[in-house]
Amino acid sequence: MSAMQFGIFTVGDVTPDPTTGRAPTEHERIMATVAIAEKAEEVGLDVFATGEHHNPPFVCSSPTTLLGYLAARTNRLVFSTSTTLITTNDPVKIAEDFSVLQHLSGGRVDVMLGRGNTGPVYPWFGEDIRQAVPLTVEKYALLRRLWREEVVDWEGQFRTPLHGFTLAPQPLDGVPPFVWHGSIRTPEIAELAAFHGDGFFANHIFWPASHTERMVQFYRRRFEHYGHGTAAQAIVGLGGQVFMRRNSQDAVDEFRPYFDVAPVYGHGPSLEEFSEQTPLTVGSPQQVVEKTLGFKEYVGDYQRQLFLVDHAGLPLKTVLEQLDLLGEVVATLRVEMEKDRPADVPDAPTHDSLLAASRKDTEDD
Amino acid sequence: MTELTVVSGGLREPSSTRLLADRLAASAATHLSQLGLSVNTRIVELRPLARSIADAMTLGFANAELEEAYETVASADGLIAVTPAFNASYGGLFKSFFDVLPEESLTDMPVLIGATGGTERHSLVLEHALRPLFSYLRAVVSPTGVYAATEDFGVTSDQPPLDDRVDRAGADFARLLSSCGQRVRRSAFDEEAARMERLLNP
Repeated sequence: MSAMQFGIFTVGDVTPDPTTGRAPTEHERIMATVAIAEKAEEVGLDVFATGEHHNPPFVCSSPTTLLGYLAARTNRLVFSTSTTLITTNDPVKIAEDFSVLQHLSGGRVDVMLGRGNTGPVYPWFGEDIRQAVPLTVEKYALLRRLWREEVVDWEGQFRTPLHGFTLAPQPLDGVPPFVWHGSIRTPEIAELAAFHGDGFFANHIFWPASHTERMVQFYRRRFEHYGHGTAAQAIVGLGGQVFMRRNSQDAVDEFRPYFDVAPVYGHGPSLEEFSEQTPLTVGSPQQVVEKTLGFKEYVGDYQRQLFLVDHAGLPLKTVLEQLDLLGEVVATLRVEMEKDRPADVPDAPTHDSLLAASRKDTEDD
Repeated sequence: MTELTVVSGGLREPSSTRLLADRLAASAATHLSQLGLSVNTRIVELRPLARSIADAMTLGFANAELEEAYETVASADGLIAVTPAFNASYGGLFKSFFDVLPEESLTDMPVLIGATGGTERHSLVLEHALRPLFSYLRAVVSPTGVYAATEDFGVTSDQPPLDDRVDRAGADFARLLSSCGQRVRRSAFDEEAARMERLLNP
């Protein structure tokens, strides 16, 4: 494994292919997701992350079920989420699910927490979106304790109290999964990540680079402020979005009908305008390499790069072809990203690195 | 230097909305200079930004051109906002601009409101549409707005002449703006981060 991790993240959407009008069934979409994750490992990627949604047109309501199945079918891939909803899930259930997943996958799992922006989801789970921030703070503080303290006594505002509660199973090797905090828009999440010394993942793909730069630099400053290391040692992840063909004009022609009607950004600016304003790269593998290498100009040396490749109704066959190309791109990026990387910038955290660090702490004590 | 920004939501060329906006800006500048304040006026025409505003609505962020307009508005000491009256309210483009404008941009901002229309029968659009909009955005709306109908630009009006109404609105706005003093800009980014810091460090 190199200093940086590269992978893909999916939102798990069921979207009709705009060129044929046909949508996959939910079953087809889930099985396509499995094929995509297996392919990610085959082409040499490091990470597969799934979103969490509780409403159509999404099929990813149960991330650890999917990731447990994928863990059994892969050997090397690290699994994560994009994101796990800390606001509406019970922290006890998150701790249990990811603890079991750690054991089953041999530590090939971390978690990215987010607060979720779909208003109606909150009341379905008995919560109130207006409380999203205090919910996040309280539930995450409890989650950390569940993974770190053998017997937890806890009382709070948003969950029934716990007295003498012990998480079973305990985290693998006594090492909790690494936690990322994912954010599209708000500096609150950057502050939370910095406070705890956790990773900060900037979604990046729906916003201009200037916004991502401001968020990441804020997180880095605050990480240092809270005494977890220097700003350059903060743990940063970025999203990205690509569509590639050998010939860049072929990529543009093929992707345009998907772009034009894509959920979230479709029916807005042109593909060219959006590519200029955001990390979206539609073109040749070399163009993707160049644009991706440009990210560290404004966020600094970072630890994890995830790409979105399977949305907007792209057929499975096309997505698998994208992954073949992405494998080549990542092989180049691994080499290029290492160049001029200062020695004191940490590698991407893994179960093994966290285990080694915790053993070192024990010896030091 | 007092920074005055003028937002004009007119759609035609030449635009009577822009005409009214220019007159209000000139009047405000005159009265501010009488109060000893020198003025720099900048204009934001919304028509050339129409597509950018629509894109910002679907997308959630602004392109560079629209970002510059945001900055021109948010960095001002006072705002003059003028729209055509359409279908019993402000124009849709005018409203859309203020819908995508980042939060807190207009907090504590002295605003002079103006509107134009084909007939004077729509003049209460100032009180029923513009004033509540800017109050909601936490701006300080000047008590005197100006509505100009087509016939105000001619000679046959039986209203007090447009020039007199513009002069009075400019005087009231200048007095409001000078009494409000130096405007301190608020940043939603900094405030959200500070709120989180307080929650984490009780």
